[in-house]
Amino acid sequence: MKLTTKTGLSFISLSAIFFLFGSVFMYFSVRVILADDLSARLFQMQKDFIENTKSANDINTLSNKNIFIQESQNNNESSLSDTVLIEKGNYVLYRKINFFHIYKNQNYRIEILQSQAQTDLLVWRIVILNVALAMSFFLIIFFLNQISVRRGLRIFYKTVSKLENYNISKPELISFENSEIDELNKLTEIFKKMSSKISADFNEQKEYTENVSHEIQTPLAIITAKADELLQSENLNKNEMEQLETIMNTTSRLARINQALILLTKIDNKFYAEKTSCTVLKILNEKIEFYTQLIKDKGIEVEIDVDDKFEISMNSYLADTLFLNLIKNAIMHNISNGKIEIHFDGQSLHIRNSGPELDIKGNIFKRFVRSSNKDSLGIGLSIVKRICDLYLINITYNYIDQHNFILNFKK
Amino acid sequence: MHNRNNILVIEDQKSLATDVVKYLGDNNYKCTHVASIKNAKYSLKNDNYNTVLLDLGLPDGDGLGLIKLIKEKDPSCGVIIISAKDALDKKVEGLELGADDYLTKPFFLPELNARIKSLIRRLNFEGNNEINAGVLKVIPEQMRVYVDKADIELTNTEFNLLLYFVSNKNRVLSKTNLAEYMSSKYFDYGFSNDVIYGHIKNLKRKLEKAGSPEYIKNVYGVGYKFISE
Repeated sequence: MKLTTKTGLSFISLSAIFFLFGSVFMYFSVRVILADDLSARLFQMQKDFIENTKSANDINTLSNKNIFIQESQNNNESSLSDTVLIEKGNYVLYRKINFFHIYKNQNYRIEILQSQAQTDLLVWRIVILNVALAMSFFLIIFFLNQISVRRGLRIFYKTVSKLENYNISKPELISFENSEIDELNKLTEIFKKMSSKISADFNEQKEYTENVSHEIQTPLAIITAKADELLQSENLNKNEMEQLETIMNTTSRLARINQALILLTKIDNKFYAEKTSCTVLKILNEKIEFYTQLIKDKGIEVEIDVDDKFEISMNSYLADTLFLNLIKNAIMHNISNGKIEIHFDGQSLHIRNSGPELDIKGNIFKRFVRSSNKDSLGIGLSIVKRICDLYLINITYNYIDQHNFILNFKK
Repeated sequence: MHNRNNILVIEDQKSLATDVVKYLGDNNYKCTHVASIKNAKYSLKNDNYNTVLLDLGLPDGDGLGLIKLIKEKDPSCGVIIISAKDALDKKVEGLELGADDYLTKPFFLPELNARIKSLIRRLNFEGNNEINAGVLKVIPEQMRVYVDKADIELTNTEFNLLLYFVSNKNRVLSKTNLAEYMSSKYFDYGFSNDVIYGHIKNLKRKLEKAGSPEYIKNVYGVGYKFISE
């Protein structure tokens, strides 16, 4: 529900409730007023009647359908009361004044009746008219309000749609308009502040990951250099040398893990949001070229059957990383004189290599899951998987006589 | 012509710089160390260097700006960026600005040595230059090795390993060191120590078969040492 509808509806329902009570109150108060008016008229009629008796020969000639005259022994105070008469089968409410008058030494009780039907009708008419007027008044107000609020909030909706398209890596694309409404300007001001804060934080985080890389890699470089220098000393025994080698080996693993984790963090932080159109065949050929010497040394035959028009919209660095890792993997786990087949069937890219089956427990794409080959980090394929996830590429792996990675590009 | 072995090390990490300077000094280079862009500019103005090792993250700014300055002064001066920032754009930017090589921290000092040597070869001697080590003659540009004039057929990996050995004679090169060097040589390929062991075994076999003495000595199974004297 839109804000304007919401406020409009609560406005309408509140005023409806208010007018319901108001109408009831008005009904009764108008009735009381008219009843007072009626009573005053009855008193006036009583005065008129008494005045008339002075000039009348016979009091009974003054009687009519609203004035009853009756001889009486009593002589009480006059009193007002309501009564109901049946007229033509309908109950009609009357107001009557009951008083006593001495005419020619005879005491009479006189009743003057006034129908309340007219006043009742009047009350209803007033109430209905009032409600109708009020309702149409409120409806008009409601619609006018809707229109004016919508006009006033136009800037707000524009801002909202801009925020929807907000890209954290390109904060400069967002610009807010000023409105003539203070609250909206205030909101826009806050949005502006927020967006600059967000982009500042984002940049800081980017810088932070880079700095962390820097701050960790430098001490690692020092450890490596020191251990290597120590290894050159004369008179080291076998055990000492092995320990130094372990230090260097562990340090280089640590450095590689650090680099890989930084890459994963950067991917998560949308560091590589920029996309370009990448020709897959071109990237594949480039990566094979990188490793030509290794491929030749191992006697591996490479067969690529990929349409040169096959393009994907990806960040170019991530596309490079993706295919570099997959091809590196295919060479590393291959046998001598083996084969790498890369084939695209219009929907999926198949990367097969003829390496022997590996004893991998668990999901091959999970971080730190690796074959019994302890030198592998078990992180390359998790990077591959993360990149695929980012671009909604469904990657699967199976082993049927050869390793087979299938990248499904259908979205 | 300036001194071929004059190196300027621009690195703000004192401990690392000390190691680098000591190591390069041991390898007959003349080293000057500065820790900031300001001092680097001063040194570059007052002295001639044929190689600059440049760390990018310096206390007074990004070292990238120095590359242009160095290359303008002397195009034959080699620039090797040494940085912990693996950010690809930095790497590309550095190389585009005229840097000749890029070494990511952590690195092994012998690898640095190999890169400096390769750079000096590339920038100062076009084409035919050779490295002699005992009976071996290695010609890097042609990827050829001769034992007493007899040509030996080596695979690319074996050749690169041999080149690394002859660039770092009389030094223990650990298996990790060799694996790291080879991995960085082949786009972060990730050579395992076992694979390196296999390649070296083949290399030694081929060299000895061609009549070379056993120059590559195994050091306690931890690494290897090339001794040709």
